[in-house]
Amino acid sequence: MKKIVVFILFLIGVVAGVIFVQAMINQSAMVQPIKFNHQLHHKKMGIDCIFCHKYVETESRASIPNIDVCGICHLVLIGNSSEEKKVHEYVKNQKRIPWLSIYHVSDYASFSHRRHVAIGKLSCNLCHGDMGTLTSPPEKQFLKIKMENCINCHEKRHVSTDCNQCHR
Amino acid sequence: MPKYGMVIDLDKCTLCEACVTACKLENNVQIVSKEDAAIGRTMFWMTMLTLEHEGQYPDIKLKRIPRLCFQCDKPSCIKTCPVRATYKREDGIIAQIYPNCIGCRYCMANCPYTVKVFNWDRDKQPQQVEKCYNEDVSVRPKGIVEKCVFCIHRLQKAEERAKAEYRELRDGDYVPACMEVCPAKAIYFGDLDDPHSKVFEAIKDYRRFTLQEDLGTIPKVYYLNAKD
Repeated sequence: MKKIVVFILFLIGVVAGVIFVQAMINQSAMVQPIKFNHQLHHKKMGIDCIFCHKYVETESRASIPNIDVCGICHLVLIGNSSEEKKVHEYVKNQKRIPWLSIYHVSDYASFSHRRHVAIGKLSCNLCHGDMGTLTSPPEKQFLKIKMENCINCHEKRHVSTDCNQCHR
Repeated sequence: MPKYGMVIDLDKCTLCEACVTACKLENNVQIVSKEDAAIGRTMFWMTMLTLEHEGQYPDIKLKRIPRLCFQCDKPSCIKTCPVRATYKREDGIIAQIYPNCIGCRYCMANCPYTVKVFNWDRDKQPQQVEKCYNEDVSVRPKGIVEKCVFCIHRLQKAEERAKAEYRELRDGDYVPACMEVCPAKAIYFGDLDDPHSKVFEAIKDYRRFTLQEDLGTIPKVYYLNAKD
């Protein structure tokens, strides 16, 4: 009897451990300060990705737009949604919107949007998913930032897989 | 495939050490603390090497040369690396992959020119230095070995530029930081196999020598001896 109890306790411990590790590996959902609607901006209003993420073709970082970009249209209230009012508040008070960055590339690897988008002619959808159809901000990475994902794509497209191309 | 190499004309070199400074800034090489520097843990990818000196103080005459990684054709450092953190690329550049490095320092022991440096500690950098970090080069953590890689990030940029302009890579497109800043134009860099490159011309000079030629490592950084 005692052995069974010990065994059950051990099982519970193992299961709890596995769940904990899984939770650690899976990125926890990120909640953005404003429920930005990509579908409305991109599909309905026809704004191009590059209008807001303006450094995507010229710099290594695509940049997340802030009040300087949002303020172009939202300096005055256009509609009557509660989310737009929040943007308007930020723009009016000249406060930066504290967006949370979902995609992080480690310090020891270098990644350039310019290299992939402008020179490699890759579509944004490949890594970020079809953002134009999302009505709320993404909470998780579409394509996990992992070396195996990079290598798979590089091998498929016959691009150099030399270590030095990214790590230096 | 090109074979990149360098020629340093010691006749033109004024020992101003602009290359040393440029290298340090371009590659985010750490500025070590006073205590570490006192026990010989300074970090330079390019430094001035004193070969010999003549005369008595104060009329002393030094023969100094700028020394960087010689990117040997038959490197001895890569043979000892247990994790393939250092290897020879197809274009002859000896690459150093920092995330792979386990800090065993075998490559340092095996380098006859002692060009490799070890990150003993990660010190707080001056604010001005942190502000102007080069984004193309990673900031190395402590416990790994680093060295000059002929500013390999510049090669990637030059290739991209050439591709965008629909042309082949030309001589002079890809230059390391040390060559770019040299005020005396004493450094030549380029493809050693390309007969149209400046470095190909410079290498034919009768004054050419390399350090420790008898070792058989065949360095790809050549010096042109100063005329007396």
